[in-house]
Amino acid sequence: MSDKIVMSEAVEALEARKPLRFPREMLIVLVLLAVLWEIVSWLVPPFVVPGWGRILSSLAELRLDFVLITLARVAAALFISFALGLALAVAMYLWTAVENYLKPAVRLLMAVPVVCWILFSVLWFKWVEFRIAFVLIVVCAPVFLVDLLDGMKGVSRDLRDMLRSFRPSRTHFFTKLVLPATVPTILTSWKINLSLAIRVVTIAELVGAVSGIGYGLVIAQELFSVADVFAWTLILVIVLFLAEAVLTLIEERMLRWRA
Amino acid sequence: MASMMSNAADIEVTGLRKLFRQTVTGDAVVAIDRLDFRIRSGDMVAIVGQTGCGKSTFLNLLIGLDRPSEGRITIAGRTPYDDFDHFRGMLATVFQQDRLLPWRSALDNVRLPLELLGRERREQTERATAWLERLGLKGFEGAYPHELSGGMRQRVALARAFVIEPALLLADEAFGHLDEVTSAALRKSFVDLARTGGNTAVVVTHQLEEAIELGGRILVFGKPGHILADINLATYPTNMVARLRTDIQHMLQTNARISEIIHLTAKERQ
Repeated sequence: MSDKIVMSEAVEALEARKPLRFPREMLIVLVLLAVLWEIVSWLVPPFVVPGWGRILSSLAELRLDFVLITLARVAAALFISFALGLALAVAMYLWTAVENYLKPAVRLLMAVPVVCWILFSVLWFKWVEFRIAFVLIVVCAPVFLVDLLDGMKGVSRDLRDMLRSFRPSRTHFFTKLVLPATVPTILTSWKINLSLAIRVVTIAELVGAVSGIGYGLVIAQELFSVADVFAWTLILVIVLFLAEAVLTLIEERMLRWRA
Repeated sequence: MASMMSNAADIEVTGLRKLFRQTVTGDAVVAIDRLDFRIRSGDMVAIVGQTGCGKSTFLNLLIGLDRPSEGRITIAGRTPYDDFDHFRGMLATVFQQDRLLPWRSALDNVRLPLELLGRERREQTERATAWLERLGLKGFEGAYPHELSGGMRQRVALARAFVIEPALLLADEAFGHLDEVTSAALRKSFVDLARTGGNTAVVVTHQLEEAIELGGRILVFGKPGHILADINLATYPTNMVARLRTDIQHMLQTNARISEIIHLTAKERQ
């Protein structure tokens, strides 16, 4: 009797798997902000807040290949940072000595302001792409590392003991338990780093680059084109939103096991 | 189905002691004072005792998750802690909480031990499906743990333990937290399956009814970890089985009082 009841509860739970939801509230907020922006543009001079007409015409004239260049830089740097962060986090998880030595170094890296890294990269490296990659990796890899290590250490003792009771090899312990358990942390870390990388790459491109959104912003500033600056900013925000939406889709697909 | 390592799970416990050091004070706490006993292969043994008598500590030592402070614990002549990998595929545990991996479906959770043993994928799926069906979970193979009730999750955990047909089956308060009906049904499944498979089974519980119901041998643990009584239900006088529950209860209450007096006396001396 009671088994029948629990079975029906479980069937309900199975049917309750939700499909993806349309972000209605977010769209409403964006439309409201756009309307507010337009109203403000009527009240102040166009070189302070340009109207949507001006911004859209600027958008049409921008070098959109710069967006792809910036995105490629961000993607490459994030993948390298993730691989580096993951490898070091695994080493720190496995060997306490590695953790003890690396932890202070990581803290030191994270304490250095982004601007200082940009200046160092300009002083140390000649090749522009290397400078940008260096800044992005030195900023993002430690964030990945700290997040992943926290995630790995956060795997519950109950689950670790359960798996250990079956005597897994060290590789199995990682692939069957630690890494899958860290997936939610990995996805959150990607979201944080994506937003961080897009902001940092723009600043890095301001110094020395001859392509990319940051370079586009430098040109806009030199031409005193406020509409262009707004247009680039808009592109940055849209790119970030789209990238986050893709990550959210991946997250919903990968974490559908969560209640 | 025959056990993979039948007749290979003789357990010998000799002068076993386990001490823990308190994190704050650094004082040693005795979890297991002294244990000496033997469990023969194929036996079904229930370990009962009050909270803090070292039942779960003993089980951790038996699984090999922890090392004894003194003495020895061996399964078929080998120590589960030092010869850790030797026992791969021989030993399975059902814990108090189901401890299912939340990102795996019921089927994938049951397949897990077979994956660790490097079995072929087809064999993994066939055996896991068969065990889920045997435990009444046909149709729920693809369900994630959060989509199942507590009783169903514990059934999946049982299937996960039985799927490797272990020589030694361990259960740590595995049924006590469920409602009485579900708990009784699961206990029955556990006993039936363990008997059919010829597994040696060690069941840790604080419920005397559960221990008596298992119908094998009962080891009553006193506090801190020592044997108060070793009762074999098969040879126990039939006319006394009815009052066994009350007798064990008295035994545990007396032990609790004695250990309290010893504790107070020791404090006064300090």
